[in-house]
Amino acid sequence: MRIVALDLAASAAGLFAVQSLTDARAICPILEAREIDVAATAQLFAEFADWHTNASPLVGLLTDRAPYGDLCLDITGVEHLFGGEAKMLERLTQRLVEQGFSVQGAIASSIGAAWALAHFNPGTIVAHDPQTVLAPLTVAALRLDDAQIMGLTQMGLKQIGQLYSRSRQALTARFGSELLLRLDQALGSVNERLAPRLPPVEHYTERRFAEPIGLMDDVLMTARDLALQLTSRLEQGGLGAQTFHLFLYRTDHKVITLSVNAARATRDAHHIARLFIHRSERLGGEYDAGFGIDMIRLAASSLSPLEATQTGAFEARDGAEDLDRLYDRMTSRLGPQAVLRSRFVNSHIPERAVVFEPMVARTEDDPNAAPDPKLKRPLRLLPQPEPITVALAEVPDGPPPNMVWRRVTYRFVKASGPERIAAEWWTMPAKLQLTAQSAEAAQADMTGSFYGEGGLTRDYFIAEDDGGRRFWIFREGLFGFAEPKWFLHGFFS
Amino acid sequence: MRGLSKERALQSLRARIEDIEKHPALRDFAGPTAAGNLFAVPQGVLHEVFVDAGRESGAGFGFSLGLTRPLLGPRRPALLLLQLAHKAQDLGVPYPAGLLGLGIEPHQIVYGQMDSATDLLWAIEEAVGCPAVAAVIADTGAETQAFDFTASRRLSLRSAAGGSSVFLLRTGSGREASAARFRWRITPQPSVAPPFDARAPGLPSWKIELEKGRLGSRRDPREWLVDWTENGFAVVAPKRAMGASPAAAARTPLSGALSAALGDRLSQTG
Repeated sequence: MRIVALDLAASAAGLFAVQSLTDARAICPILEAREIDVAATAQLFAEFADWHTNASPLVGLLTDRAPYGDLCLDITGVEHLFGGEAKMLERLTQRLVEQGFSVQGAIASSIGAAWALAHFNPGTIVAHDPQTVLAPLTVAALRLDDAQIMGLTQMGLKQIGQLYSRSRQALTARFGSELLLRLDQALGSVNERLAPRLPPVEHYTERRFAEPIGLMDDVLMTARDLALQLTSRLEQGGLGAQTFHLFLYRTDHKVITLSVNAARATRDAHHIARLFIHRSERLGGEYDAGFGIDMIRLAASSLSPLEATQTGAFEARDGAEDLDRLYDRMTSRLGPQAVLRSRFVNSHIPERAVVFEPMVARTEDDPNAAPDPKLKRPLRLLPQPEPITVALAEVPDGPPPNMVWRRVTYRFVKASGPERIAAEWWTMPAKLQLTAQSAEAAQADMTGSFYGEGGLTRDYFIAEDDGGRRFWIFREGLFGFAEPKWFLHGFFS
Repeated sequence: MRGLSKERALQSLRARIEDIEKHPALRDFAGPTAAGNLFAVPQGVLHEVFVDAGRESGAGFGFSLGLTRPLLGPRRPALLLLQLAHKAQDLGVPYPAGLLGLGIEPHQIVYGQMDSATDLLWAIEEAVGCPAVAAVIADTGAETQAFDFTASRRLSLRSAAGGSSVFLLRTGSGREASAARFRWRITPQPSVAPPFDARAPGLPSWKIELEKGRLGSRRDPREWLVDWTENGFAVVAPKRAMGASPAAAARTPLSGALSAALGDRLSQTG
């Protein structure tokens, strides 16, 4: 059992990270130790990182050395909001310290340099080339693994400044290319990109509150104001958006995200505000503002060009736009799986021939998949065919004289069929093998042939009972193979 | 003598007014001619369609689709079919391939699966407010708590304001107070076999009773025995002898209707 992380008081007592627990307890008897759940901690830290997007939109986790613990913000262009880099660093670290975290931070022009300074020389701000600032730091500041660090110290290379003068080929030959990569990343000669947690959005508006708010009504009112600002900005750019995200930043490092989708690109602030109202109704009891919300940001993504609409006297009112807005409103209140349209799939099997997809995420129709108009199909289909009990038919391949379904007996007076729908052999994994053994095996196999058709062929009948009710039933399996089973699949009118 | 002719003039005027009253939705039609449409219901009304049991709800559904087909047009292209999600296995899910057989294009239809009756009611109200929706068919089943009198009054007011019709499909024999303008009761009937196969089920056949509401004048019948053909509803003679040959089964055309306008009907060819 080794120590993985410790706080300032423990490190002041002389403990360090890879010490074994027994040694640590011996040095410091009043030590409090807890077993770490790495996955949960990483997840918590990721949510914590999302909260930091209220300082800068590009926030990433650096997981080189540990799955949690290192947070990197790209503050290009946002430091003026805080009154300068020094003030920004102080503000960010101070608010975390107030919440009880121990934090060290630094600002530099490259990720590697910032990491090095944050760990080994916290509080530094380097606006220019970090070469001189990095020189006195140990080689462990280059994010190398332990074996490499030990190798370097054995060779006597204890500080980064000593690496500058060595020849690059020699270093690569002895330590591999990773050392040079890390060095170049720290110095800024190689571009290292930050992988942001949330996708970057270019169009957003935000509002900070002097006093934290908590009521949903206030949040929605602010969302409406933000929508007005954002849509006027979109209009200047000639753009419309299909997805809108509302980020609510709580005072205690949590973010609540609400997203709405529109079926067509829009920049109508009224429509967007209404979609958020419906979306908030769907939140229901899950909305918890904690100690209050102190910043709200509205961002737009999935942008596309949208030309200016001009309401004219002679334009033909196309209902399509009204319908799309209706579907947007219904989807935002009821969820994306509530409003669906159908799409035909090129398949004979009835339950696979039609697929339902959400209205706001339409895909193209397949022109080959339109169903055959001569085939009679029921008005309603059961999602799962229900098993029924039938008496034996007069003819083995004929329709049954009656059925028992949901414990009620129906006597059939008319029936038509059978319509045979076989299994789709092209989706079967078994391949055709023309060997003597496989032919014998197929004959001996009672449940199906190469294509499994014995077990999966369906014979459909349209049957009408003495009350005039019409059903679509099928028999699964051919006589001669396994015992066939009867099912009810749909209803005609 | 003059009194008699005046009487006759008044009589013919009354008949004309009733004729006009019988087809009030003429101006909004884009489908088959109003004369050929047996149930010329006006737009923007609330209908309640009752069936006796859940297993017969297909008949109610088919009837509602038959009534909505003439309401679809270029200005009102959309039809919404709404249902409760947990009843999907009980009653079945609308099958677009089957709807195609009834003459309704699948790209006009939107399906909705709601979690609760309040969500269903909200969805109907939202949809009725949209001016491009022709009709909403909602399967409420046996839910009477959410769809009470106040809800039906609200729905009928909204549909009258917006112009889209609402059809509530309900099951059971209990009839509660409701503000619906029309209340129908549908019972499936044994069908007449097609001419080429004596043992096959034929066209869908229903007995339709209009329990509440008036379609035309007071003398019009309130019970019909109809078949659903490709071109609309066709009234059949109430007595259908079991032994009669299918071709001889009297299919009376609509009284006063222009049967030529209906085109050729499948049941009468061959």
